[in-house]
Amino acid sequence: MSGASFERGYNALKEQIDAPVAAFLSSCVHCGMCAEACLFFTETRDPKYTPIHKVEPLRKIWKQEYTFWGKLGKALGLSKPLTDQDLADWETLVYDSCTLCGRCSMVCPVGNDIAYMIRKTREGMAAAGHAPEGLIGATKRAVTIGSPMGVKLPALQAQIRHTEQEFDVKVPVDVEGADYLCMLSSMEIMNFPEYIGSIARIFKQAGVSWTLSSEAFEATNSGIQIGVSDIAAELVQRIVDAAEKLKVKAVISPECGHAYMAIRWEGPNLVGKKFGFKVVHILEVLDELRAQGKLKLKDRETQKLTYHDPCQIGRRGGVLEQPRNLLNMVAENFVEMPEAGKMNWCCGAGGGVSSNERADELRLKTFARKKAQLDAVNPDALMSACSNCRIHLEEGLEEYHMDIPLLSLTETIAEHLSEK
Amino acid sequence: MTDAEFLLWVRGPAFNTALFIMLAGIVIRFLEILFLGRKTNLAEARGSEVAGGFRTILRRSVPDMDSFHRSGFTIIAGYVFHIGLFVVIFLFVPHILVFERTLGISWGGLPSNIVDATTVVTIVALLAVLVHRIKDPVMRMLSKFSDYLVWLVTILPLITGWMAFNRVGLSGATLIGVHILSVELLMILFPFTKLSHAFTLFLARWYNGAIAGYKGVQS
Amino acid sequence: MTGITNESEFRQAIKELGYDQQRVLAAKFVEHALDLCSDKRIADVVRIAADSNASHDELAGAFHTARAAAIDSHTRCGSEGDWQEQAGYFVARAAVSAVTPEAQLAGASAALQAAMSCRMAQTSKSIAADDDRAVQETQDQYRILSEYIAS
Repeated sequence: MSGASFERGYNALKEQIDAPVAAFLSSCVHCGMCAEACLFFTETRDPKYTPIHKVEPLRKIWKQEYTFWGKLGKALGLSKPLTDQDLADWETLVYDSCTLCGRCSMVCPVGNDIAYMIRKTREGMAAAGHAPEGLIGATKRAVTIGSPMGVKLPALQAQIRHTEQEFDVKVPVDVEGADYLCMLSSMEIMNFPEYIGSIARIFKQAGVSWTLSSEAFEATNSGIQIGVSDIAAELVQRIVDAAEKLKVKAVISPECGHAYMAIRWEGPNLVGKKFGFKVVHILEVLDELRAQGKLKLKDRETQKLTYHDPCQIGRRGGVLEQPRNLLNMVAENFVEMPEAGKMNWCCGAGGGVSSNERADELRLKTFARKKAQLDAVNPDALMSACSNCRIHLEEGLEEYHMDIPLLSLTETIAEHLSEK
Repeated sequence: MTDAEFLLWVRGPAFNTALFIMLAGIVIRFLEILFLGRKTNLAEARGSEVAGGFRTILRRSVPDMDSFHRSGFTIIAGYVFHIGLFVVIFLFVPHILVFERTLGISWGGLPSNIVDATTVVTIVALLAVLVHRIKDPVMRMLSKFSDYLVWLVTILPLITGWMAFNRVGLSGATLIGVHILSVELLMILFPFTKLSHAFTLFLARWYNGAIAGYKGVQS
Repeated sequence: MTGITNESEFRQAIKELGYDQQRVLAAKFVEHALDLCSDKRIADVVRIAADSNASHDELAGAFHTARAAAIDSHTRCGSEGDWQEQAGYFVARAAVSAVTPEAQLAGASAALQAAMSCRMAQTSKSIAADDDRAVQETQDQYRILSEYIAS
């Protein structure tokens, strides 16, 4: 990012320190339990991947700027100051070996939300210019093109045309006054375009009034992955502008974990204003339709299914019940993996890790944890609700020679809709 | 300095100084944390921060099954010495008398031989915890000088207290004096090291629970 | 036997085909779109899928190859998308459908999945080339199906 410097990084880190961070850092007793909750540690046994260790740059600044003895030590020249080299050394810890999954935050005995602190540490790293290439590129594309993967409107329009032909549905675009504005992730537009067809079919059957926006269709937020709040805010603002222009009641976040976190929880705080519309995940919408009896299925899945909770939707997002309600509706044989739900193990690819080629080997190593979960259940198929989880899980299953197909919950529901 | 002078000093000015530093330190630590503040959350809440905060304060004391399997030793040894410390500090009649003198309130204690046995168990647990800290790769990597210092100032009062009670080693008066001095060392370091977790963990767990509760997740 | 001329006839006719027939048909669809895919492995997969006498092991091997090709060719999250390359990804996915074991299909239609993926491949090529050839692909698929049924 332009204008990156150690000084900017230092100040960015300072700004990030709030009461929760200070409470957390005051309480850490170096017990190491967070390591055993983090799949980057459990599958490599390398102590440097201990979650609390990843926030060392933040801790140093907290100590020297905001504590009695720390400030004294700094004034007397007794403490080791944070250096640019420290930040450079921490780049792989903060970006390659953390997906912001938040499992560490659930097990820390003194209650530290470590993922919260790692997210904040990224702000300093990025401002100092120590962020991975892949993420920098994605962020630049997101800002200039509107999509981190360079997906432009004509491409989306072509996918829409294909979808309308294939499923005999209309995909509304720029419809003012629609109830819902649907966002899409570039991953879906490029790799899983069936998602568009799925929501079109479901909404047609359920009589839902919805629209896409030609001015803002991207849900993912690279600004958050990399940790540059200004960019993250700009990307959110585009969605807000589109939602306000089209006067929708709610914005739907697609099957992408971090997109949901970005727009639902960070969004208003990034742009500094409450939203005048609701934000919901597609699973929340589908569950509401289910509860209203508006989803009519012709049949159900019979194969043994299990569900992978995407971290940003489940544990960090709060959408835990809805997928289960939907699975019980659409599947005859749904079984839970061990540690399913809010304690689910991360797929290993979120938070910018899959955008980072340097982290490929590590990412695939961590899949062993997911494999262990799957081995305990031995399902016929694995269901999830995040395109990034999906593609990484597919890669992992292939790497570990496991013959389990990956399904999207939304697409599966669409497949079983009764022909009206 | 004679034994009597030493004892008078350690029970008098030294104790008052240590108490003052400890209380001032706790206040400073609290203010340092709270003055940093927290931005108002503008996202639409799904659940209650307050309920979440309180819930996590309580529930975080109970580890989840997977953590228990993975960090069993840390958890069990940790509980043993924490409970041991609680029993030794707060349920030993001579200590309760000190609280009565200082705070004006008192409560019932346990028989001294039980406290004595608890002291031994706690010392053993702390020794085990030190060995674990040195041997476990994660803890070894995380541990700094202050971790070992804090361990020392925690075990010293236990050892010196046990020695004083069992009349082992130096003369009775000196032993008690040394024991009280070791406690004063602990008191001075209490707010300025990770020992502060004893009171800051309520804030940390609160914030954790509040942040999660806002989103409708029980953490 | 009149030719297939619209989508519902297309889907209905495919539905009436058995698993093995669908596999062979799917292979034909993929073969038609093969020029969109630069991965040599897919040609091998197509050859095996098209062979009605292919052994269980050959099909299993082809399945793994096709899946690996699909994974290798997807656009990773956050990287710069190339629609030309993405066409290859969809052809690989079509090939996967062609050789997916019956049990794993769980009632889905291999030939239909392959047809849709091939159309997606053409759509991708169209996006890259900024033209409108995807419609032609659909018509070609109707012709392929008609010829297959007639044979």
